[in-house]
Amino acid sequence: MVQNSLSFFNTKVLKKSSLSKYVILCLFVLFFPGLMYYGLDSISLFLSKFNIYPPIPSGDYIVYITVQVCVYILLAIGLNIVCGYTGLLDLGYVGFYLIGGYTVGLLMVRQGFSYWLALPIAIIHGAGWGLLRGAPTLRLTGDYFAIVTFGFAEFLRIAVKNEIWLIGDINGFVKEIPSVTIPFTGIELKENWHHYYHILILIAVVIFVSYRLQHSRVGRAWIAIREDEQAAASMGINISRYKSLAFAISAALGAIGGGFLAQFWGDLSAKTFEFWESILILCMVILGGKGSIKGSIIGAIFIGFLGEILRFIPDQFDLPELAGARYLVYGIILVLLMRFRPDGLIFKKSA
Amino acid sequence: MDEFLQQLINALVLGGIYALIAVGYTMVYGIIQLINFAHGEVFMLGAYFAFTLVTTFHFPFWLAVPISMLLCAGFGLLMDYVAYRPIRDAPRLSALITAIGVSIALQNIARIIWGAKPRPFPSESLPSLLRQPAPNETPEIVFSFLSIDFTQANIAFTENVSLAYLDFFIIILAIILMVALNRLVSLTKIGKAMRACAQNRIAANLMGINTNRVIAVTFAIGSSLGAIAGVMVGIREYIEPTMGYYKGVAAFAAAVLGGIGNITGAMLGGLLIGFAEVFGAGYIPYGYGSGYRIAIAYIVMIIVIIIRPTGLFGKSTGHRA
Repeated sequence: MVQNSLSFFNTKVLKKSSLSKYVILCLFVLFFPGLMYYGLDSISLFLSKFNIYPPIPSGDYIVYITVQVCVYILLAIGLNIVCGYTGLLDLGYVGFYLIGGYTVGLLMVRQGFSYWLALPIAIIHGAGWGLLRGAPTLRLTGDYFAIVTFGFAEFLRIAVKNEIWLIGDINGFVKEIPSVTIPFTGIELKENWHHYYHILILIAVVIFVSYRLQHSRVGRAWIAIREDEQAAASMGINISRYKSLAFAISAALGAIGGGFLAQFWGDLSAKTFEFWESILILCMVILGGKGSIKGSIIGAIFIGFLGEILRFIPDQFDLPELAGARYLVYGIILVLLMRFRPDGLIFKKSA
Repeated sequence: MDEFLQQLINALVLGGIYALIAVGYTMVYGIIQLINFAHGEVFMLGAYFAFTLVTTFHFPFWLAVPISMLLCAGFGLLMDYVAYRPIRDAPRLSALITAIGVSIALQNIARIIWGAKPRPFPSESLPSLLRQPAPNETPEIVFSFLSIDFTQANIAFTENVSLAYLDFFIIILAIILMVALNRLVSLTKIGKAMRACAQNRIAANLMGINTNRVIAVTFAIGSSLGAIAGVMVGIREYIEPTMGYYKGVAAFAAAVLGGIGNITGAMLGGLLIGFAEVFGAGYIPYGYGSGYRIAIAYIVMIIVIIIRPTGLFGKSTGHRA
């Protein structure tokens, strides 16, 4: 067991060439904001000396977008637990994201909680809702499960819009969520690069949890359930227990993403948590290949940046009617993927 | 009592519309076990097609509606041919994801072409009998059928209960279409083929039924019924790219409630969802009814799936749920 738990850090399994690749990747990820701030902005500055103003976004904007994409990475890894490992189609992932966001937002704004206390509460809260939703749906499979998850998330969104006594404003508006301070140091996390390192740490934790689960008895049980539920049950796997566990963990990870987002954006609105957001995350997981953490990450990066580019173009060139193009492209990607590469573009299922 | 009667009329109209859409979901599900998420979008396109025909091409209304139905039927065929036929033998979840992809793509195509703003169906293009009565329009109370005034937009039975001719027309049309569909499925050759495919597609194929053709016909019929429902909603409310999503989900809930795959069930389910929505919105107190109006269908759907997945009128299919 000890050896097993160490294998995550065991670099011997990596070949030397791939090790250096990993080191470069890690360095790039670690110094990404600096690279953007000093690199991109100095290019713009340099070009402006020659009176050239290409539509290069500022480094700060890029970092801001990257933080958004990082939230998607986190959510995609979370969704991958239900969709990838246990093979159930969850169309309501945005519900947990909503619960995390509102738990953190409301606790901070209305109760004056510290973020470092509100986030764990949000995680537990999210997991609780995951179990609550999971309990009646344990028997369901396939499209019926998908429809229930979808209805659940939509119901939560409508509830947030209507329960004014709870939220304190119409349409689920929570405004002026304070920024986070690191305890004992008094450093306030409000710059975009602060958020970047903040989410990076969260992602690292989530990847670690997800990776360790995948390669543990629990992960193998999930995959057995995905491959054949009856066979898994006859092998002595407690189906309801492992499914519930998957729902709870997946929901908890979604709540982390929502909680981070609450303090990153500073305000919440029910409009953010529409059904299409779930489809977006689903699209990322499927693109990367269900059941693969690496796939989820790459899928999220690809779809996330693609979305931001498709959002940037109508803004930059003043074509407001193309604002829907983003979702149009996601829809087409989903259809094409299912047609030609149902197991994902990047990785095959890693059993 | 007056309010109750008025709500009853509204519920009947809404239920009729839901029934028309729900039939499209249930027929497709019955044959290929696919939740055609994009059916709501076809319904939305039906409204937009009629709208464009009337406003841009100045077609008369009575011609625009059948053309819109035909266009939607063609669209249903195209959708089946391009998106669903290639993955017919893939796992069912792939088909569901494809359907969601088609739905999201169509909704945003509509948003790009027609804009996100809700638009009313132009009332000047409608026959005067079918216009939506103005909110303050108070017709004279009718005591006998001889005294009906056809220059007005509605009939009043008492001071507070009135029935717009439009609503009357919608209810009658919904009933006619439902009966026609029922006859089609139970009496004609293609209807027999549809039922055979619903029972066992492979066996039907072995018996010499061209299943792809049957499925295509199913899509075409469902889509054209959806189109007509879209025009109705467009006249009663307004047309917007997300209308297919909200009404589509409610209609899907109706199909589930009636037992998915069961056409008569879908009709009754549509009526029940219409009643639940109108009476829920009208009678649940403290503003919860109106606030949660669209959630009522979701709640019904979830409860039915969890407690009785085969619906009120469905028969157990064994392999599902």
